[in-house]
Amino acid sequence: MDIESIKAQIDADIKNVNSFQALEDFRTRYMGRKGAIAQLTATIPALPPQERGAFGQKVNALKTKLLSLVEEKQKSISSGSLETPKETVDITMPGIAQELGHLHPITQIINEICAIFIRMGFSVVEGPEVETEFNNFTGLNIPLEHPSRDAFDTFYLKGHEKLLLRSHTSPVQVRAMKSRRPPLAIVVPGRVYRPDAVDASHLFMFHQIEGFMVDKGIKFSDLKGILEVFAKGVFGEDISMRFRPHFFPFTEPSAEVDISCIICKGKGCSVCGQKGWLEILGSGMIHPNVFKHVGYNPKVYTGFAFGMGIERIAMLKYGINDIRAFFENDLRFLKQF
Amino acid sequence: MKLTYNWLKDFVEIKISPQALADKLTMAGLEVTSLEERGGDFVFEIEITSNRPDCLSVIGIAREVAAITGKKLREARGPQPKVQRKNKKVCGLSNIDYRPFSINIEDKADCPLYTAKIIKGVKIAPSPDWLRARLELIGKRCVNNIVDITNYILFAFGEPLHAFDLDKLSWERISIRRAKKEEKIVAIDGTEKSLDPGILVIADKNLPIAIAGIMGGKAVEVTLDTKNILLEAAVFNPLLTRRARRKLGMQTDSSYRFERGVDPETAISASWQAVKLIQELTGGKIALAKASGVTKTKSRSVDLSASSAAKLLGIEIAPARVKRILSDLGFKPKAKSKNKFSVIVPEYRQDVALEQDLIEEIARIYGYESIAKTLPLFKPCISEEKTIGQVSLVKNTLVGLGLNEAITYSLIDRNLLSGFSMRDFGKPIEILNPKSQEQEILRPTAIPSLCARVAYNLNQKQEYINLFEISRAFLNSSSVPAEELLLSIALCGVKSYALSRGIIREEAGLLNLKGITEALFENLGIKDFDFKGESGYVGIYVKKEKIGIMLQLEKSALEALDIKNKDVFVLEASLDRVFSASQLKKSFSLLPKYPGIYRDISFIIKESATIKEILRAMKEKGGLLLVEAKVGDYYKGKQIPAGFRGLTVSCLYRSDERTLTEPEINPLHAAVSNVLTGLFGAKIR
Repeated sequence: MDIESIKAQIDADIKNVNSFQALEDFRTRYMGRKGAIAQLTATIPALPPQERGAFGQKVNALKTKLLSLVEEKQKSISSGSLETPKETVDITMPGIAQELGHLHPITQIINEICAIFIRMGFSVVEGPEVETEFNNFTGLNIPLEHPSRDAFDTFYLKGHEKLLLRSHTSPVQVRAMKSRRPPLAIVVPGRVYRPDAVDASHLFMFHQIEGFMVDKGIKFSDLKGILEVFAKGVFGEDISMRFRPHFFPFTEPSAEVDISCIICKGKGCSVCGQKGWLEILGSGMIHPNVFKHVGYNPKVYTGFAFGMGIERIAMLKYGINDIRAFFENDLRFLKQF
Repeated sequence: MKLTYNWLKDFVEIKISPQALADKLTMAGLEVTSLEERGGDFVFEIEITSNRPDCLSVIGIAREVAAITGKKLREARGPQPKVQRKNKKVCGLSNIDYRPFSINIEDKADCPLYTAKIIKGVKIAPSPDWLRARLELIGKRCVNNIVDITNYILFAFGEPLHAFDLDKLSWERISIRRAKKEEKIVAIDGTEKSLDPGILVIADKNLPIAIAGIMGGKAVEVTLDTKNILLEAAVFNPLLTRRARRKLGMQTDSSYRFERGVDPETAISASWQAVKLIQELTGGKIALAKASGVTKTKSRSVDLSASSAAKLLGIEIAPARVKRILSDLGFKPKAKSKNKFSVIVPEYRQDVALEQDLIEEIARIYGYESIAKTLPLFKPCISEEKTIGQVSLVKNTLVGLGLNEAITYSLIDRNLLSGFSMRDFGKPIEILNPKSQEQEILRPTAIPSLCARVAYNLNQKQEYINLFEISRAFLNSSSVPAEELLLSIALCGVKSYALSRGIIREEAGLLNLKGITEALFENLGIKDFDFKGESGYVGIYVKKEKIGIMLQLEKSALEALDIKNKDVFVLEASLDRVFSASQLKKSFSLLPKYPGIYRDISFIIKESATIKEILRAMKEKGGLLLVEAKVGDYYKGKQIPAGFRGLTVSCLYRSDERTLTEPEINPLHAAVSNVLTGLFGAKIR
């Protein structure tokens, strides 16, 4: 092919170049390793010596022209592409991305609660789900045969004497205090088991989060302060809270903690049983007998402990009315969180 | 515990409204769970915690009200019978009967106190309206005047009483003893109960007449023709009552109180209150009163210092205030020094044994709400529990890959395992006391539970199900059950991917699980891993150790879960083992200094040649300069003969020392290509 027809071809081709990809194809076609310029150059040695100079100049001129065409086109594509797209995109088409997965709402609540306590200097610790009777009861000052145990009806293992499925996360208090020394500030999330009859608010397996702090000079007023940070962190700055005296074998004094109903703001509704308050956790100052069991001197150390049901917090926060929904694992449920 | 506003007013002056009273009680630890206006009165329902049996009575709550509101308790004094010393005749029995009468307690530990009163000439009739109204308001069925009076006294004073028909008893010898083997009794509720030596009974000369502290016998109950009664007031061992109650499965108002503890003083005073009412309302006359056992327990005192209260609570409460609160609650604080007390504990407060118990009493009456909120000065712990962070990393990686986290029950029905033969689960750990079949074993694997959730979601018409769970599996391998942290994944159905050229749909398969695993290992810094096809599954190996498996669910499992026309792919891996191999410490390697040269090879090759073999052979030939050889494309189709596949492998040649040149690479690449033709008979395209 002679230079002139190549030139005509170039002029025709460049008009059809509308994208960077097309421009790259164009460049390769003419200036690539096997492109037109390379082929023309390759013919030079075969020409009579007197023609070589002029031909070479023409090839060079062509090369220069190509370079400037490519450069020009590059500019026009990059500046013009936004203003006058060749192909308009229907932006209402489905977007292209990997579909997101979802953490279980229970995990999300645990993460949220742990994060608040971690900011206050607590560490997260876990413990086994199969526990000894001692850690689950005796070490926590819960007599083995006493009405105070009725709240902790428990699954026992067949063929393993004195082993059970923990009925609360509190045994980790005993474990952690035995294996470490104060100061301690620990939160413990995990599964717990109770042979309860199943209904919309009871299950035989659920999650709790336990927290405790032990050091010299830890006071009931500290418990109030820490739990206020927690409750406001989870339920919002505008809630109010109250501490009601209660009884737990492993704390003395003990308190149940209510927050103002997050649905009715304390006016009274069906969620709070018209009371205006929602009970969210149990707490208190660690009982001296618990300290004695783990070998701490109750005259030297004091501490507080608290515990709450994760499902209950999640139900309140997300407005879920049946605890069983958490374990059905319906994807349409999971994907809402 | 239910009681009414007016009933409370018998014992204490109340100037505040029922609602205000309810609020105050709640904030003092007696949570009022409902308050209803009924029959011109107000009915409170109060949750009494198990440490406060003294509050299982109207007078007990009145004592609290008095302390909270600062009013004096009106101690309802019993009638003052002329003689009330134990073991003495009150007045002669009627001329009908002069039998001697004795009470025999077999073991004082089982029954610290037993009192009996013989009342003659009662006239059984319905109770007067005021008494019926009170009992009915708190939800009790009225029977007759005698039974109603015993119930009334039970709720008013917290002492369970029982009345027997004297003429149906061989009453000359009343024994409190353990039941004999195979002894039986028909209780008042009409059920026959088999007794054993673990159960305490009241017996007359011949037979058991009551299950101690729980229920009386039918044969000796008070009926319309009853003329004379034996009234029992006693203290029974809480533990024994609890065990018998559980064994017999009969919870009564009486057992509820004995199980929590009744004190002798209350038993004695309440029984005289009952006598008074019976004489007033039924025309009966007390003929004999006898008691056996301990009538009074030794008084206890607990030391309290105002400074330890301040230290534990975080507020200073003036000693005078402390003294006042304790006195109002019936304690007797004696000042030992300016802020130290020796506090005598009333008999009905068996729950108070330590200084901390007293501090709680002070705090709850002072008001928890009056205690400030502070934040502790605290030295935080820096070190982090390793596993928790790693579990979070795994969960977040999987969620990033589009999977959804499930949580399923660790307790399962053993039948759920049937059909799953992917590995030997061993003998599962059984639950001693499951409430239903769904709770009979602790699961050794989460795969069946997860697959059951897949089946559930298929029924909800979900197109693509991708669930994972991180949970403990329980293995019966050693004497103590072991807990292993497992990752379980189940994939099923058709996944849609939106691409610019359209939406493509693809069925989930083992390669999805492989890809997920690889991504996970990348995030955990695990480089040495492998997948090996083994019988029925693919083994996942990390550092040559098998850490998990993945497989397509066998037919038997699908059938067991009732999954039809769908395949389910599952993965199970031990996170404990994965974590021990993970390398979360990151370090930087220098970026390549010299450019590399890319070369693609496309070829057709027998399907029997695995990608792993092909790449390994190419890398061997390419030596150090071939830094990467990866599959760029693969295809089967019309152009490819059966038993073959088309592959494109992208090769990257690079040196750390110099810029490679084409003349250097071309022969090497040719040699790499030749390996394919030589070793595998590939046809280069």
